[in-house]
Amino acid sequence: VSGHHGVNLSSRLTSSRRSLSLGGGSKILEKSHVFDEDGNDVTPQPLYQADPGATQAKGSRFFVDEISAGSASDQTTATGSFTMQFARSVFGSSRISSQSTIESVNEEMEDTFSKRDLPIPERNNQYAELCRNKMGNDKYVDRSMLTLNGAAKNKHVQTDTATVTTWDMYDTLCSPEQEETVGRPQPEMSDYQEAVMDSSRAAERSVSVGISASSSVRDVDASGSTSNTESEWQLIMLSESFQHSLLVMERCILRNNFQRQLAAYRQLPVLEDDSQSPALQCLWAFSCELSRGRSISSLAWNKKNPDILAVGYGQFDSGDQKQGLVCCWSIKNPTWPERFIHCDSAVTALDFSANSPSQLAVGMHDGSIAIYDLQNQDSKSSVISSRQCPDKHLGPVFQLRWIQQELSLESLFSVGADGRICKWFAFSGGLDCTDLMRLKSANKKGKTKEDYLSLLSPGLCFDFHPIDPRIYLTGTWEGLIHKCSCSNNQQFLETYKKHFCSVNCITWNPLSPDVFLSCSADWTIQLWKQDQLKPVLGFTSTQQAVHDVKWSPKWATVFGVVNEGQLEIWDLNSSIEEPVIVQPAAPGVTMTSLLFARQTDCVVVGDSDGQVTVYQVKNLSVGVSSQVRQRNRWPVR
Amino acid sequence: MAEVEETLKRIQGQKGVQGIIIVNSEGIPIKTTLDNSSTVQYAGLIHQLVMKARSTVRDIDPQNDLTFLRVRSKKNEIMIAPDKDYFLIVIQNPSD
Repeated sequence: VSGHHGVNLSSRLTSSRRSLSLGGGSKILEKSHVFDEDGNDVTPQPLYQADPGATQAKGSRFFVDEISAGSASDQTTATGSFTMQFARSVFGSSRISSQSTIESVNEEMEDTFSKRDLPIPERNNQYAELCRNKMGNDKYVDRSMLTLNGAAKNKHVQTDTATVTTWDMYDTLCSPEQEETVGRPQPEMSDYQEAVMDSSRAAERSVSVGISASSSVRDVDASGSTSNTESEWQLIMLSESFQHSLLVMERCILRNNFQRQLAAYRQLPVLEDDSQSPALQCLWAFSCELSRGRSISSLAWNKKNPDILAVGYGQFDSGDQKQGLVCCWSIKNPTWPERFIHCDSAVTALDFSANSPSQLAVGMHDGSIAIYDLQNQDSKSSVISSRQCPDKHLGPVFQLRWIQQELSLESLFSVGADGRICKWFAFSGGLDCTDLMRLKSANKKGKTKEDYLSLLSPGLCFDFHPIDPRIYLTGTWEGLIHKCSCSNNQQFLETYKKHFCSVNCITWNPLSPDVFLSCSADWTIQLWKQDQLKPVLGFTSTQQAVHDVKWSPKWATVFGVVNEGQLEIWDLNSSIEEPVIVQPAAPGVTMTSLLFARQTDCVVVGDSDGQVTVYQVKNLSVGVSSQVRQRNRWPVR
Repeated sequence: MAEVEETLKRIQGQKGVQGIIIVNSEGIPIKTTLDNSSTVQYAGLIHQLVMKARSTVRDIDPQNDLTFLRVRSKKNEIMIAPDKDYFLIVIQNPSD
């Protein structure tokens, strides 16, 4: 600024000088003016008005340009302590002291006047020439000069935002781009600052008014709440992010409460008590008021997310038919299901699809099958049902399975009390099926074609071969087990006869193919090999109907059994006479179904009171996935 | 909407939960199950803490953002789910 002023000053003074000392002849420079923002003329007035009668102040020419070069040092030496800022006073004093060099100065003045009219490159050249002429010229004397820099004055600058952080800058950089895509106008920097100011002011306001405002803060029902907070609360409540926050918060709280059990389930290293005998430890039970009192008919793990368990509830001892219920529980929340679906009729079978993991097929007591899509909370909206299908099952659907056959195409298979095994197709209107097999009864002999339906005996269970899904086994009400093929829907490939009551469950060994187990209401469990028509081994421990049997997915010789009164874990490696672990049921409750958990040593058991209990299997010392070997060691009964 | 209310009731009924506070973006509590003075105190202090935590996370990487904050102390645990429109604060004593 000072330099600028200096130039102006000198130019004006120059012009005034010129008019005084040179008279005409030189061009008169225009006076330049300085204006501030409001248009006021703030051109600095000259400090010194030359006295017209005074000696022509040809001297005291003070060339701002040449000061920096130090060439006019002879003028400034006398006033060596002055800096640029005091251009005027220097000018003034140098005038006094430099009378002796007035003539030379005047000449130089003329030179510089003329220089000022030229364009800059030419002026540069003239200046360079001037510098060259300086050497050895009597007119010029080299003196050094000392400038004293005055003390710097700090002026604090205040902005609206006290600190600028990395992310502040990132946000401002990103937000106009984001808002362009949204289509809103870009915020100006000033707006942003105003907004920041507003929020900080608001925060202060809120702190001070907080005491009085909090009296209006209560539950939504309270009449004292201001409409502002009320509508704000509504808005927040409806937002998805709030619901997600609630979900995460609930799981965090539960994780705190169930920390020990969840750690055991996830097989994290836990401090153990040292007992070495195999035992079952009860971790927790999935239960809520919706499900209490309903008997559990089926369990199914989700194929993609192993933490999700679907549980089907239905009273199927043909008493009062309560409405069916399906709950999807998550390991992360043992107190409330993630999804629940009310069904029209008692649920008897469940399975998750593998290809579309959020689809759950539900089979019901009235013979209909529905496929629910569980992805959104509102599960009523996405359901395909077989109600309209004319070929649907006439009795309860006892088991459902999604099987991938060829080319990873998945189909839904079902077996029902009407003795038919059906393969289902979904189309836009609903489901339709074709019969895969009719389970002809061995006992009833029909004379006419009309009563062929009554010749069918209800199928209670089936299982597809783990390696070759075209082969499957099915168990019937009469106690027969048929091996069938998908390509042959007229005849059974084999029939295995041993049970004399209904076969409740059949399951192939996942680790040792060609071996399967069957359990029946005749109190026994039979172990079969595929190519032997008589069972290899039979197990019985209590005189109660066996409801469910499942192989362990991890150990080839371990299976779990649920009969009416207890849960048993058998290990064929250690004993074929009796189970290794026995867990009795709670009094008054019968256990109805069983599943092994896939990635952990846990077992889930459903009972007739609507509870699904999770047990951890501990200290079962089995070699890892040893095959069921050397069957010829075992006596064939 | 009823689901949200139900979820809040369930959370309130979980073992050890001492209080739930929902604070709006200006720091004013809009829903609480604690008494006034505690609510105001928690709201004010936690607001500052969350701002600081968020600033920390974002200073390290501006593309990152704070999603959940848990403060475990001798006597209880404070869990905070922050968002740009609200804070959800739950205080739990897990060993109760």
